[in-house]
Amino acid sequence: MTFQKYVLGPLRSLQTRYGGHPFRLFIAVGKTCALAHVFTEFGYIINPASGASMLPTFEVLGDHLLISKLHRKGRGVEIGDIVSFDSVAEPGERVIKRVLGLPGDYVLKDTPGSGSSEMIQVPAGHCWVIGDNLPYSRDSRMFGPIPLALIKGKVIAKVLPWDERRWIENDLKPVNVSPST
Amino acid sequence: MAFPRLASIFSRGSRYRPFLRDFSLTLFGIATWVPVCIFINQHVGELTFINGASMYPYLNTGYNNSTRKDIGYTSKWNSFHNLERGMIVTFWSPDHPEVLAVKRVIALPGDKVYTRAPYPYPTAIVPSGHVWVEGDNRDREASKDSNYYGPISMSLITGKVTHVLYPWSSFGSVKWWEFKGKTRVIKARE
Repeated sequence: MTFQKYVLGPLRSLQTRYGGHPFRLFIAVGKTCALAHVFTEFGYIINPASGASMLPTFEVLGDHLLISKLHRKGRGVEIGDIVSFDSVAEPGERVIKRVLGLPGDYVLKDTPGSGSSEMIQVPAGHCWVIGDNLPYSRDSRMFGPIPLALIKGKVIAKVLPWDERRWIENDLKPVNVSPST
Repeated sequence: MAFPRLASIFSRGSRYRPFLRDFSLTLFGIATWVPVCIFINQHVGELTFINGASMYPYLNTGYNNSTRKDIGYTSKWNSFHNLERGMIVTFWSPDHPEVLAVKRVIALPGDKVYTRAPYPYPTAIVPSGHVWVEGDNRDREASKDSNYYGPISMSLITGKVTHVLYPWSSFGSVKWWEFKGKTRVIKARE
């Protein structure tokens, strides 16, 4: 009785609504997929991340990150934020790095401690991105500043593995150095 | 009636029941198509209005005697695949992330380009994953192109302008293979 009421009934109404009109069902599925696409394109998406360049913040394999597409094209991105962007030299690849310079900033061109202390200014509409794992990261030290238009979103949380879920805060804080000590 | 329960929500407590119900249902029906249009515009194709004189004389031929803009059709499918010299592409301007630019692909990865004035070096070799883009307008002020900001990453390219739709006189597909540029390029491959 309950089975008939809660399962067969809705099924039958679904069948009368879509069963006789496969075309209408097709359209409805397509519209739903398009709605989901708009959400993942302009809202939020969970993407897997891989690679050693962001150790120890993210693991080499198995991390899934929540990415906010509201920050696409570098909107509202600040220094210290982790962003996901399209690779400059390998189209189609998606990369995750930390923003360490915004337009107008002066940044260290090479790895700290490499002997070179040359600074360059980040040009308009660009940003300077560096991986957390300096020896194993291909980043702005090799390919220079990247256009902000390549940024697809900002990483706001780590969701998988579930035990290690956490919000990604901006770790880069000004240092308080008291002159007396 | 497609959504009987939804309709009852919309028309509750109203004196203009049938009108409000029909009206909101029609609006809802139209709204469900908006994501579909967004998907098509992003991944299949889109109408593009050409701004400015950077592609004169090919596009916006009458830019100095009318305010009319040319309308092109941009194919968004596989936007950065199968690029060829002479194709007209749309891409996000490297120094203005919110501005979409329209230029012509002059050189592909590996090619050697003989550059023009604002560029600091006489020649440039296009790095992998990049293309050299220039406007058809030789006027330096009218076209801010790769001579100004260098080779652009293919990831910035959003689509290829394949057809011109609006001025009826130039209606038709863009015959990029007929393009003969004045910029000297030493090709890395055919």
